[in-house]
Amino acid sequence: MSARPALIVIEGVTKRYLSSSGPVEALHDVSLAVEEGAFCTLIGPSGCGKSTLLGMLGGLVTPDQGRLLVDGRPVTGPDPRRVATVFQDAGLFPWRTALQNVEFGLELQGVPAERRRRTAADLLGPLGLSGFAEKYPRELSGGMKQRVAIGRALALDAKILLMDEPFGALDEQTRVLMGEWLLDIWRRTRKTVIFVTHSLHEALFLSTRVAVMTARPGRIKAALDLTMEYPRSMESSEMVALRAKLWSEIREESLRAMR
Amino acid sequence: MTLPVVGLRLALLALCLALWEVAGRTMNPLLGVPPSAVVPALRDLLLLRSYPDLLSSLALTVREIATAYALAVAAGLGCGFMLGMHRLVGRAWGPMLAALYAVPAVVWYPSLMLFFGLDAASKIAFGFLLGFFPIALAVLAGIRQVNPQLVVVARAYGAGTVTVFRRVMLPAMLFTLVGGLRTGLALCVIGVIVGEILGSKAGMGALINHAYGLLRTGDYVALVLVTLTLVVGSDVLASLLEHRARRWTE
Repeated sequence: MSARPALIVIEGVTKRYLSSSGPVEALHDVSLAVEEGAFCTLIGPSGCGKSTLLGMLGGLVTPDQGRLLVDGRPVTGPDPRRVATVFQDAGLFPWRTALQNVEFGLELQGVPAERRRRTAADLLGPLGLSGFAEKYPRELSGGMKQRVAIGRALALDAKILLMDEPFGALDEQTRVLMGEWLLDIWRRTRKTVIFVTHSLHEALFLSTRVAVMTARPGRIKAALDLTMEYPRSMESSEMVALRAKLWSEIREESLRAMR
Repeated sequence: MTLPVVGLRLALLALCLALWEVAGRTMNPLLGVPPSAVVPALRDLLLLRSYPDLLSSLALTVREIATAYALAVAAGLGCGFMLGMHRLVGRAWGPMLAALYAVPAVVWYPSLMLFFGLDAASKIAFGFLLGFFPIALAVLAGIRQVNPQLVVVARAYGAGTVTVFRRVMLPAMLFTLVGGLRTGLALCVIGVIVGEILGSKAGMGALINHAYGLLRTGDYVALVLVTLTLVVGSDVLASLLEHRARRWTE
């Protein structure tokens, strides 16, 4: 653990939902601290409340108990100046072009049209979307859509980037390439990333920290710090050992979730 | 539009007119009116010779349509959004609205005449009745079309209720909504004119009734043509509105 103060603090957070078969506890007493500049991955079986936790950090879901602090201040609602979210299926506005989608957050913040257009246009280059500014989402591939969605989040210039299985809907090859690309973006922008995934590969390849969650009700079962240099080789003996360790943790929870 | 499209259109029009001319000439002249006979009738009508009160009748019908449509839009949007935004209210009353729409509206017309009399009010009421449903139902369908994930995205990016409505819901439902508004206008026009034909003392429908009743078939066809122009004109207006709306959301 480093001495830097944590940028994100989650303390004893519990969340229950009302389902048709009665109350369901989605999260139980979850605590986690993430320091500034970290790439923290939440991994765990389906329905373990990863997305709920992310929603809370984004201010879209309120906890029943416990509290969440971002930059020392409690989360009371969406705060796009500090926290930007990338959703699982891009969630682009189909009536807006790629450029206009990237501009969306700045538009809501009242940034003058010319300035936000320039910010968005400057982002398209590193996103690999230079020639696609005027394209509508239906004209873009899955990977491109997700990059537009990431551009929309980056345009906010928030310190924190929340990513809810951003590559979950992509094919394996695109996924790997998008991971490499994201790593590059992260290292250049120095954002703090909270990344939800099902993929062991993504967790090991990208993160400085991996938090394994239990089957419902979700708790933090284990948190590993990963110190290997980037870019990482998945074949190194250290990685192979870590992968085995992580898998055994997740396997147990996934089995419980299947029951 | 490309030249072949225009050409084909004109060709079909010419064919129809030719068939009409042939058919009109072989029929009893009291019933069949070939285009060649319509032209002088139309001239007399437009020069206010056959029906001196054409302009005031036209103005009355347009006024009735405008009033009926304004009421239908206001009530349709109001009802639609009320049912669409409140889940419970929508679940309770939405199906009733749809069921009511399925009733052939003409069955209400006699009672509308009883309530509102033979003057403009009953025509406005009937036009309203026809125009209201497609607008209200289009709002309901439009709201159902909004992808809830986009609402979540907008909220995460700092949008409040009004912004969500303006930036997400309206653009997402725009096509359905404008389609409903267009259908609503067309039905308002039909409602008012049918209302006038079924029983009135003034307006285009009354003139049509008069010409038809006296077997002044040439005048009758000329009046129908003028009314047709009115209907087509209203649809052109609606399509302008559609373009405006599309530009506004972008």
